[in-house]
Amino acid sequence: MHSEIKTLLYEAEEHYLKPAEIETFKHCASFLAQRLETYELLRNQEIAIFQPVADQLLERFPQEKQETLERALKHWLSVLRYCAMAMLLNNQEFLQRRILEWLTDMVQAHQTQEIESALYQLLQKQLKELFTEQQLALVQPFLERAEMTLLRSSALAQL
Amino acid sequence: MIDVADLLQEGQRLPGNYFATNAYIKGDFESGLIENRRGDRLLALPETLIQAIYAGLEKETGQAAGAVLFNCGRWWGKNFYARFVEEVSDYYAKTLAEMEMVELLQCLKQCWKIHGWGTFDLDVSYYQQGFLVAKIKNSPFAQEAPQGNKPACFLEAGILSAFFSQLTGRQLHCIQTSCESLGADCNNFVLGLPQRLKVAEAWLEEEQDHETILERLCKSKPSAGS
Repeated sequence: MHSEIKTLLYEAEEHYLKPAEIETFKHCASFLAQRLETYELLRNQEIAIFQPVADQLLERFPQEKQETLERALKHWLSVLRYCAMAMLLNNQEFLQRRILEWLTDMVQAHQTQEIESALYQLLQKQLKELFTEQQLALVQPFLERAEMTLLRSSALAQL
Repeated sequence: MIDVADLLQEGQRLPGNYFATNAYIKGDFESGLIENRRGDRLLALPETLIQAIYAGLEKETGQAAGAVLFNCGRWWGKNFYARFVEEVSDYYAKTLAEMEMVELLQCLKQCWKIHGWGTFDLDVSYYQQGFLVAKIKNSPFAQEAPQGNKPACFLEAGILSAFFSQLTGRQLHCIQTSCESLGADCNNFVLGLPQRLKVAEAWLEEEQDHETILERLCKSKPSAGS
């Protein structure tokens, strides 16, 4: 649950919420509504987001085994699913623990950083086409965290 | 052509980290029970209990305490392997044999960590010479071990020996070559066939370090049939 709402619930133990607290609550509720709307879009558009990415990825890496490209796509399909839930929960730790910790070694072991970096760029391009700036801004911090953890830290480790 | 809809066909599931913090272990304050995400009971090992096990065994069995702990570890490892296989193959909907090595290792690392046994890593660089090296950091078993002049994590050595014996289908022994209780930065465990590891017992008595033991082991000739 959102930590701000949780704090308000604890503090409201023996009094009505003060006007400023009610404002915070309203703000959280409307923020949550926006997040839920974006979550639904991401959920419903999953294939529309990823099919063009898959097509362009295939064009970009024609020599690569299809299995490798499919594995990279599956990684990012699942990253986006976890990003969406992390956005809804407003919780970066959820993303880190449930998927990033899990995938980091896999990406490194398969040495698919180049493919996955290209995939990430294509995904960003596609999201920009399908989502408004405001919607994108909600999910972007989580995607950036995923990119940083999976692609940049492993690139540094390789140096 | 890659069809994304087809990629998602296999049950629509894209499983992540089964052993994730906040997901794997659940506690209930009222009943005082802790369970894993399948509802299997977990047992908390307080520091005092670990200290008491070491002290009690030392008193009752003296020098044999290490061997007793190693055998307990083997039992533990055997059951741990069975549970691990069941949980992991259920969750990821594939057998261990169908899993990639990196995926399996990642499961073991995360499983080790979530149970509070420290962080686990496997070094496979000596695989061709017939050895695997497991590295464990922040082990509670090393932390509570009585001060001595030899590595003390017999329990973990037993667990690893049983786990990897079942995983590889060959009887593997395990010796610990460095220990946090002796000031080392990690606990190194070498896994290999018993007849090849036997010579290392003497080097451990001589208090040789991990690198020296491993180097000598790799140079030692495998006997016929191993």
